[in-house]
Amino acid sequence: MAWITKNSATMQIDRRDEPYLTAEIKADFEQRMFPRYPTKQACTIPLLHAIQDLHNWLPYQAIEEAAEFLELPASTVLDTATFYEEFFLEPRGRYTIWVCQSVSCEIMGHNKLVEKLSEKLGIGPHETTDDGRFTLMNVECIGACGGAPCALVNHKLHENLTADNVEQILDGLE
Amino acid sequence: MPLEQPILLTNIPTPPWGDFADRKTLSYADYTKAGGYAALEQAVGMAPKDILEVVKAAELRGRGGAGFPAGMKWSFLPPQDGGQRFLAINCDESEPATFKDQVLTEFDPHIVIEGIAICMIACQLDTAYYYIRGEYHHHREIFENAIREAYDNGVFGEGSRIGKVNDRWPNLYLQRGAGAYICGEETALLESLEGKRGWPRIKPPFPAVAGAFGRPTIINNVETLATVPPVLTHGADWFKSFGKGRPEGAPPNVPASFGTKLFGVSGPVKRPGVYEEHLGVTLKTLVEDYGQGMLPGKNYKAAFHGGISMGILDTDEYEAEMDFDIGKKYNNLGLGTACPTIIPHDVSMVAMARNCARFYSHESCGQCTPCREGGNWLYKILTRIEQGDGTMKDLDMLLEIASSMGSMPGTTICGLADGANWAVRTIVNKFWSEFEDAVSKERFVSISAVG
Ligand SMILES: Cc1cc2nc3c(=O)[nH]c(=O)nc-3n(C[C@H](O)[C@H](O)[C@H](O)COP(=O)(O)O)c2cc1C
Ligand code: SF4
Ligand code: FES
Repeated sequence: MAWITKNSATMQIDRRDEPYLTAEIKADFEQRMFPRYPTKQACTIPLLHAIQDLHNWLPYQAIEEAAEFLELPASTVLDTATFYEEFFLEPRGRYTIWVCQSVSCEIMGHNKLVEKLSEKLGIGPHETTDDGRFTLMNVECIGACGGAPCALVNHKLHENLTADNVEQILDGLE
Repeated sequence: MPLEQPILLTNIPTPPWGDFADRKTLSYADYTKAGGYAALEQAVGMAPKDILEVVKAAELRGRGGAGFPAGMKWSFLPPQDGGQRFLAINCDESEPATFKDQVLTEFDPHIVIEGIAICMIACQLDTAYYYIRGEYHHHREIFENAIREAYDNGVFGEGSRIGKVNDRWPNLYLQRGAGAYICGEETALLESLEGKRGWPRIKPPFPAVAGAFGRPTIINNVETLATVPPVLTHGADWFKSFGKGRPEGAPPNVPASFGTKLFGVSGPVKRPGVYEEHLGVTLKTLVEDYGQGMLPGKNYKAAFHGGISMGILDTDEYEAEMDFDIGKKYNNLGLGTACPTIIPHDVSMVAMARNCARFYSHESCGQCTPCREGGNWLYKILTRIEQGDGTMKDLDMLLEIASSMGSMPGTTICGLADGANWAVRTIVNKFWSEFEDAVSKERFVSISAVG
């Protein structure tokens, strides 16, 4: 993901008054996380996770707040955030479906899953449905190859998927 | 001879001794009841260098992919200077087709934690980070809980039974990755731990000298550390009674294949899963006995025997022994993660090569030109071949690009590019005729052009 280019410095950042980095997260990091590492920068990834777990994505304002809290330039935190596939710098669906496309899953028929999901949701990989419910991601091995083909729906792993049972899983979500 | 008793999976029900369905997480209490943490008690009473000697004598080799001797790695540490020294446990497990460390993490976290604690004593490390890949959500919660239990029972933290190390109470923290294969590479892992993008570092300096936060650091795989408690309990000779041993006639300084190993079998077999066997078990035994054979209507054609980065075993290499010499004997990069994925007769090798190339082009961190550009080109060419638009020249180009990539040809910083090289090159070489057929359209074109 290293060569994703960013908007130039003239870009407008949407801002709101209420901070994304809440007082609770700050307190937790000050008490529990900072003592774990010799540097504050080492808290970058844990902090980005904490913010994203709360808001489901990382707005630029949140990156700036994280940077200020960690006493780093915003560009340094942005550099880290853009490198990792799990961090979303744009809003995403309430449910993110991560379908594994690596070898074991391809051998066991991941194609049928992606076809079914795309057809049912009306989106392709790396897109979000208009109602903001689903984001579909094609990803590499998620470490559950014995249950190929498999997918994560948010934090929950589903194994031995077929076009049928994947439909049931979708229907079971609000 | 099949393994009589499991070593690593003693507490994790696994065929033929138990049933996958009976697997559940062992708590601290369950683990101690089963005899756990006795090895740590023993280690607490030993001089650190004596523990190191046992691990060295056992010739325990790393289970994370490269097979580097653990005892030797541990002995690279410089003398203590009073400052912090770190352990980073590699649970990034992102190699395609690899799913062995998650079994230990989910079901027997304390065997791993005990190994971590013993390593911290042996190497005099005060702070450990368990770097677990971002997608292991369930495992993360379980391991976080196991760490809490270990603190509550005096393994870590103030008053730890390990005592102070480098004048500090020992600590173990969990660190969650965020979806990047490259962070499994040890120096990328350290960068990520420091809060940066996962760009591998140029070596030297090696991590044992200047690793996390510029301080001496040991990086080991989860399975490597989980093997340490049984080694310490039963001794080096006992450990060396398992496995394939040293290649015949080799002098004692040649690295050998001792002990058991976790093998994660996936693909169209009847009972895929993570099993334990002697190093040196054949692929055929793993498929037919442990995996209970191929699914009806599927025949074995090839296997990624140790994650895709090691390359491939051919149809007539079905009986290859899964030990650290597999690379030399069967023309691939090595044992890797020892998690074989079986490719059945009806899956195209062009598709498999394309899948691998896509993986590397996507996961390359982008620092080195041969890896960043080469991976993309391999993917483009293989996609073209798969769609029927390839030419004979493309095959030559594939091999030329692949063989120019990697730290072994001396063009890149880390081993990711070697993986791309070996995956693509061994598939094309070992299944040349499939590739030839896929581009044979060109022959008709040229004939008609001549006519
Ligand atoms: C691209 C790349 C990815 C790697 N991924 C992993 C991984 O996910 N887990 C792992 O244990 N080792 C991985 N390794 C190997 C590590 O660099 C390192 O050798 C290993 O963690 C050392 O542990 P060991 O000696 O106990 O095997 C990877 C290496 C490379 C080059
Ligand atoms: S070989 Fe590839 S992944 Fe490794 S450092 Fe170079 S560009 Fe990054
Ligand atoms: S290949 Fe799909 S989970 Fe590993």
